[in-house]
Amino acid sequence: MNPTKPNGISRRSLLASAGAFGAASVAFPHMAISQDGKILTVRSYSDLQILDPAFRLSLPEDDIIRAIYPPLIEPVSGDTWEWKTVAAASMEQLDDLTIAFTLKENMGFTDGYGQVTAEDVKFSIERIADPANESPYAGDWAALKEVEVKDTLSGLIHLNNKFVPLWTTTLPTPASCILSKKAVEELGGKIGTEPVAQSGQYLLTEWVPKQRTILKRNPDWAHEPGGFEEIHIIPIEDPATAERGFEAGDLDYTWTSVSSLPRLKENPPAGSVVLEKPSLAYVWMGINKDNEALQDVRIRRAIQHAIDREIVVDAAYFGAASVGNGIVAPGLPGSRDAVTYDYDPDKARALLAEAGAEGLSITLDILNQSERLTAAQVIQANLADVGIACEIKQNDSGTFWSLGSKDGDYFMNLQLVLSRFSMQPDPSWATVWFTPEQVGVWNWERFDDAEYKALHDEGLVESDPVKRDEIYKRMQALMDESGCYVFLTHEVVGAIHKDTIEPGLKPNGESLLSDFKPA
Amino acid sequence: MLTYAVKRLGLAVAIVSVAMFLLFCMIYLVPGDPASVALGPRATDAMKEALRIKMGLDQPIWIQFWNFFSGAWTGDLGEEVLSGRPVLDVVMEQLPFTLALIAGGISWSVALGIPLGCWAAINRGSFADRLVGLLSVAVIAVPSFVIAIYALLIFAVTLRWLPAIGAGEPGQLGDQLVHLILPSLAVGLGWVGYIARMVRASMLEVLEASHIRTARAFGLPENMITYRYALTIAILPTITLLGVGIGQMLSSAVFAEIVFARPGVGKLVYDAILTRNFPVVTGAVLVTTVIFVLLNLIADLIVGALDPRVRSSF
Repeated sequence: MNPTKPNGISRRSLLASAGAFGAASVAFPHMAISQDGKILTVRSYSDLQILDPAFRLSLPEDDIIRAIYPPLIEPVSGDTWEWKTVAAASMEQLDDLTIAFTLKENMGFTDGYGQVTAEDVKFSIERIADPANESPYAGDWAALKEVEVKDTLSGLIHLNNKFVPLWTTTLPTPASCILSKKAVEELGGKIGTEPVAQSGQYLLTEWVPKQRTILKRNPDWAHEPGGFEEIHIIPIEDPATAERGFEAGDLDYTWTSVSSLPRLKENPPAGSVVLEKPSLAYVWMGINKDNEALQDVRIRRAIQHAIDREIVVDAAYFGAASVGNGIVAPGLPGSRDAVTYDYDPDKARALLAEAGAEGLSITLDILNQSERLTAAQVIQANLADVGIACEIKQNDSGTFWSLGSKDGDYFMNLQLVLSRFSMQPDPSWATVWFTPEQVGVWNWERFDDAEYKALHDEGLVESDPVKRDEIYKRMQALMDESGCYVFLTHEVVGAIHKDTIEPGLKPNGESLLSDFKPA
Repeated sequence: MLTYAVKRLGLAVAIVSVAMFLLFCMIYLVPGDPASVALGPRATDAMKEALRIKMGLDQPIWIQFWNFFSGAWTGDLGEEVLSGRPVLDVVMEQLPFTLALIAGGISWSVALGIPLGCWAAINRGSFADRLVGLLSVAVIAVPSFVIAIYALLIFAVTLRWLPAIGAGEPGQLGDQLVHLILPSLAVGLGWVGYIARMVRASMLEVLEASHIRTARAFGLPENMITYRYALTIAILPTITLLGVGIGQMLSSAVFAEIVFARPGVGKLVYDAILTRNFPVVTGAVLVTTVIFVLLNLIADLIVGALDPRVRSSF
């Protein structure tokens, strides 16, 4: 989409605006955009950068892409992980390797690109899976053999091997969004920020970079309509700014920072509802086992025993979050109630003495965010208590996310690192980053365990929930055993909305724009 | 005057060149891989390498610098890393918002600073003079982001008189002006103090000058002496001060743009640094440096035109 010129002002509009400004500023000191209830104004934490489902970069983009290019299925808003059909009239797993789909009738692309067909589904899915297209999301469709078109509206998705996360982390995401084959081919294979051939509940009608994105109800959408005539998405990176914007009446909905949750819950702004949702994210302190000072497992174990996780989490999240015991969030297979090596400072001191590491001095790298700094300061105090001097090193995001990369020159100097990863509702999404092939990519602890890798592969094809639970618990026990991890929390997601709207949220608090409705 | 202007112009070009070279050196030293940051956790090594090549990061720094500068002379500042949009377009979209913010800040500082400075000078030694002095130091001492946050809490959140975020409806001047009030106040308030102090000192000096004494001896009205004869001379240093002040306002604009979630070049550069979007960083810094140097050049030329001593001493 061509960005609208923000200052395209005519003489007529100048005079009209100036007159209106004088009158309105006296009569209506502060006008909220969505007073009429037809416009929903929400905050996103980043601006639009790309509208291509195969190359999307952030959650806000996922939301917009799903609204304008309907996926076969999407998550249901609420407290349990379920899915509902969007573009599909029906979806059925025929056997381990075959899924049948039939599209809804009367779905058409804008710009004259005709009806949405099974051929478009085949194109959209195979385009992501094709290694030649270098989509970062190719792994979502790694098990795909082909999409077979049966007729105009139906087809079969054939898999090479069983892939259990398909129904939780592939199909209900933009990885199943449908693009017009003809339109994308005419564009040369990639979509930028200009949407073509939209077909969803909403149409992207305006994007003003760094200012707003506007979605309007698709007048040709013949199925359940979106809840608002327009959705205005305002990019605001800083959560505190967004909270002030909400309190000033400029926003209808925003995520909040976790640290603001206690204040907002205790004293919510008039006419607002504060939400607290369990997050799927996981926060941990990693210990680089290949660093010279940390190669002895007794030293790493001493660090595990030195950290009082309750205090760290309480201090960093103002009591809003609880301690997590692994990388798999509660409610998913593999979620644990305890870690193997918890807080025991006496044992930590004994292990350090046994290893001859008294007076150890190490560095803890963190991202320069207030919650991380608070957590790091408590960790620093815990380590000092057992005789380890810890220096905290704050990094901006650009530096931080390259610290453990094998392409850089710091990965062997990295000692302790406080990290947070987000994830999808399947445990394999958490465990995948700690496999041996991820060493020096995202596995900065350089944890290298063949059994872990075998279990990860097994979990991808095991559909029995009890067995999956055992697999992922065992994997986290192996992580404990390595001495490379101190698991801290899964955090919480805070949000606030006006009581005149009913937000559509996944169980982990991520938004589903199409499901927002007037209350 | 022509010689003076040519010399000043040459100096301006040299300043821009040195500033950009230093920026390139700093970018080269900044840790973090732009390709990894831009592409996210799921990118393969091959994709990252392809992006590095596309960004020219596989080239030695002097070649990157030459490519950038040779392109910049023709108006080509490169392309944004992921969207592929021309950097010049991206910067120019944001520039009007920052210029409006700085213009608003200057308006606040001039509209309040000059009368306060005059008032203090005319009432030298009085309670009013001491009050203006105290307030001037106070607003100079308070950082602009503190002013921004308190202005937002008072006028937007508590009183709800003014909007808290954004730059207003595109194309609606009235709405855009309303959205400009608080951010420009945050940017300009500190300069009210500087200008008031400068105008007061300058006025006191001029009011003691012999031509002012002569005017008084001729019995001219005091208002005419103050505003027509004294202020027009006393205001000259303020023009130079504003030229320098624009540079500081540009840095204050970053805070204001973040706190008020306004678009603008400051926020663009801030976001681009965090994401290691180097083409945008270099392009935006070049444009703002050129503007800053140009405005200083204009300020110097005005002063040079008004005061021949400046021309002859350069």
